[in-house]
Amino acid sequence: MKKSTDLLKYESLAFFGKVNASISHELKNIMAIISETAGLLSDMADMASTENPVSPESLKSYTGSVIEEIQRGFNTIRQMNRFSHSVDTPITEVNLIEMIDLVIQLTGYLSFAGKAHVHNCGDSKPFVKTCPFLLQAVIYQALVNQFKNGGPGMETTVSVCSQDQSIWRVIFSDIEQDSAHVFPDDNTKDMAEAIGVKIICTANRLELDIPSSIETVS
Amino acid sequence: MKILLVDDEKKFASMLAKRLELRGIEVDYFFDANSAIQRVENGNSYDIAVLDVKMPGMGGIELRRKLCRMAPQMKFIFLTGHGSSIDYKTGVNEASFYLPKPLKINDLIETLYVVAPEVPQK
Repeated sequence: MKKSTDLLKYESLAFFGKVNASISHELKNIMAIISETAGLLSDMADMASTENPVSPESLKSYTGSVIEEIQRGFNTIRQMNRFSHSVDTPITEVNLIEMIDLVIQLTGYLSFAGKAHVHNCGDSKPFVKTCPFLLQAVIYQALVNQFKNGGPGMETTVSVCSQDQSIWRVIFSDIEQDSAHVFPDDNTKDMAEAIGVKIICTANRLELDIPSSIETVS
Repeated sequence: MKILLVDDEKKFASMLAKRLELRGIEVDYFFDANSAIQRVENGNSYDIAVLDVKMPGMGGIELRRKLCRMAPQMKFIFLTGHGSSIDYKTGVNEASFYLPKPLKINDLIETLYVVAPEVPQK
């Protein structure tokens, strides 16, 4: 890493906190639905009588809803777990497609998030040796910028293309840079610089050039 | 008592509405701010609006400001899954009442009658 200052550590911690807050919000929403559904089943049981029995269809529908939410909770915890383990090793080899897919799911918890898909332009798997946590943070901020500019209805594709053997280019489609949400901010610039990621951002273009190996970054 | 409930978590809003209705409270529920605004613009009036703070597009804080202008008599309660102190202070400053999710139905009902004591209880 080129830069390892206290500020960078604080920015990293702030990113970790932000993502965890959005995950805990999602989990609270899931718990709220389970709580209300269980409460409704309890209300129905209290009111049920021989003349007014609880219908099997209602029971099936509400218990099905609880099962769905529990599954949603498991998926959320799985993503939280993958994200948390991204700090296990400071520098390691990661598959960019898998990383972007996780980041898309993490940004999906934000209230202003639109939809995003990841696309591999080539046949080979885009592996990079980097600091996974910082790279995740940079991609996350880029996607957040996309959603803030495009609004909740927006759909975007994040493409990963090989430039040459030393660089992978991540391209965000449908860019409309709003002056109110200018990317990158200083924190993201610091994090990108620390891992040798070049950010190309204009009014209608957002690309990240990621070195295949952080060890080649001077 | 007539409640306007707005929350983008569809299942949560519909379940909560059913539980309130079982307790004799009339509820209209919506999953986004604009639908709720349209409803009030169409002449429907409510004693209390129960609003989720964070929603796609317009959130509860902005929705409250708009509804306040349209229906100054309406009272407000915020619901949120966020638990930060900033959210709490914003909620308290804006609406006087703020309930964290998951919530207890009895806490909500108690709060409804504290917010609108003039409405007779069933």
